[in-house]
Amino acid sequence: MTSENIGLESTALENIKQANVMSKSARSNILAKLKSEVAGADYDKLPEEIAFSYPELTRDEQVEQFCQQLEANHALIIKVSEIDIASVLVEQLKQRNIDSLLYGENCPFSLNIKSIEDSVDLTAYNFSIDANKEALFNDYPAAISSSRCAISATGSIVLWPDENEPRTLSLVPPVHFVIVDANNLYPDFSTLIKAQQWQNELPTNVVFISGPSKTADIQQTLAYGAHGPKELIVLLLNS
Amino acid sequence: MADTTIHIKEQESKYAKSARAFRDNVTRDLANEELRSNFRGAMDYLMDKRKAAFCEQDELETLRTQCKLIKQRCLAKLPYLLEQLEENLIQNGIKVHWAETTTQANEIIAQLIATKNGKTVVKGKSMVSEETALNDYLEERDIECLESDMGEYIVQLAKEHPSHIIMPAIHQNKQQVAKLFADNIEGFSYSTDVDTLIGQGRAILRDKFCHADVGLSGVNFAVAETGTLCLVENEGNGRMCTTVPDLHIAITGIEKVVEFLADVPPLLSLLTRSATGQAISTYFNMITSPRKKGEKDGPKEVHLVLLDNGRSQAFADEELRQTLQCIRCGACMNHCPVYTRIGGHAYGTVYPGPIGKIISPHMLGLEATSNLPTASSLCGACGEVCPVKIPIPKILLRLRKESVKPKSEHPLVMKGQGAGRNNVEALVWKVWALVHKSPFIYNLSMWSLTRFRFLMPKKLGPWTSVRIAPTPAAKTLHEKLKTRKSQHKLKRG
Repeated sequence: MTSENIGLESTALENIKQANVMSKSARSNILAKLKSEVAGADYDKLPEEIAFSYPELTRDEQVEQFCQQLEANHALIIKVSEIDIASVLVEQLKQRNIDSLLYGENCPFSLNIKSIEDSVDLTAYNFSIDANKEALFNDYPAAISSSRCAISATGSIVLWPDENEPRTLSLVPPVHFVIVDANNLYPDFSTLIKAQQWQNELPTNVVFISGPSKTADIQQTLAYGAHGPKELIVLLLNS
Repeated sequence: MADTTIHIKEQESKYAKSARAFRDNVTRDLANEELRSNFRGAMDYLMDKRKAAFCEQDELETLRTQCKLIKQRCLAKLPYLLEQLEENLIQNGIKVHWAETTTQANEIIAQLIATKNGKTVVKGKSMVSEETALNDYLEERDIECLESDMGEYIVQLAKEHPSHIIMPAIHQNKQQVAKLFADNIEGFSYSTDVDTLIGQGRAILRDKFCHADVGLSGVNFAVAETGTLCLVENEGNGRMCTTVPDLHIAITGIEKVVEFLADVPPLLSLLTRSATGQAISTYFNMITSPRKKGEKDGPKEVHLVLLDNGRSQAFADEELRQTLQCIRCGACMNHCPVYTRIGGHAYGTVYPGPIGKIISPHMLGLEATSNLPTASSLCGACGEVCPVKIPIPKILLRLRKESVKPKSEHPLVMKGQGAGRNNVEALVWKVWALVHKSPFIYNLSMWSLTRFRFLMPKKLGPWTSVRIAPTPAAKTLHEKLKTRKSQHKLKRG
């Protein structure tokens, strides 16, 4: 131990209390130093920040850009209508010799998903991760999730995980199916934040997904499936 | 800290020692042909990727100016934004800790882990945790600390440090990684197939994510307005570390705070494009609270450690404050002719390359780093590609000045001021200034220099170790021009 005064008998809780005292004094020192440097600053006189204005795209152009970006990042895009979701899912799973699927019980498309239970072993993610980590990491070769919206400029799918569709649903299983509605497409991140006023309320976690997990850490060679899904299959509803 | 009973022992950073050995490191690494070819290849690749990502000069320049102003605004309000960030994080259920030194940060993290009786930590990529040498600190306390970014994992397996802030294992080629895996991973047979290598890493690390007690990550942007921690990554290890273990600890420098959520999109766009030429990274992860009631996963506790470690020193000087605009994209090192040749390890610091040369002196003091700012040809490439327009070459010159200023000169701007001062050198420049101020002394000295040029020594210390000593001309330029003028007149006359 580096701390000279901590007896072996003192509990971790007492130690953390002391760490908190240390943190408090660090806080006041840091803030005092910084504040003395900005004293008297006039924040009304800051220079104007001008954003670049991007050309406006039509809906079709946006959809095309979204697909292009995602495909360039190795995602598979399948354009479907809602009634086809079930059959496309069955076919895609069959192609990969996968016979089970993890899904969110009360997600917007749960009826479509449940309709394939005769051909695919469906599991609803209605359990806490705590006692089920092993199973989550080893027993589910594929998962399906919905999405909140998407961004065309970067080919990003925006997920707001919640109690129905937990965060690990789109992360741990090696194949991730995601349903995206082209009606929820925004041109870019800035526009999206403004349109939905995100600053007023953010959930526990928001994640943008723009392809399957990848790395180029070994000699700049791209490899897919670094830690997250090896495959990202986008079911794009475009009506 | 008279009011606390924790008396942590502040030790000199291990990077101070390796930074002091800068010149020897350079000689060593310049002679390593494999290393040089690895860096050359990687830097060419990254420069091409960046170039392809910015096809419109107009857009790039508008974005750079916008992002520079965003960062400058956030720095101008820094103490207030930190308070706002803390308030909102606490409201969201995230606990906030402050550390002035790297040891304080490490101790806070060690204590947080101890409260949960944690034995294993998985780490997402965090350069700030490299800065604090957290792995060493925790391992001394019998806590396993595993790097999970593929590059960091390789570097940790090789018992090395990252040689690049974005691509930590860029100094190794796939043959070297294959050998490293074969030597260190039981049951792995040598293969240079990158998919096989990554597959092996994936198998080992997924098991670790599944069983780790604690996840540790860095932060790319901390949003004051909403109390949100943003993480940029491609692999998914960042999401794993921040989602699967019960306890998530994030650590970051105090300069990473931004005021508004709306500040994030332009910064993110410049960050990923400048770093790897990607329009966006595979994952962009925004964390605003620990697991809420009814949610089925996510950490039960989230903590943020805010680290100063010399940043407030840079903050105190208007010119040097610009150093803190950095968003850690690594473009300056990718474009640096010095970095490309000597590689990332030669610097001996956590942050290598141009940004490393201007930030490390604040972290380690000029005593250990006074050589770093001199290792630049001032070509200006770093300043030209910097997404937030940090005038790196200008700051390099400023740091050179700070390092040769008399130790006692006020105001004292930096720790270790005057550490690079050499009295002989200082005297030479004083004489030089004197000579150049008086035409009489100047002419006299030029006359003597040309007439007694045969007295010029053949050996001039280190200068002539790789060069021939210069010989002054037989006549000064003034004399030559005078002769030419009179000849010209004669001809015309």
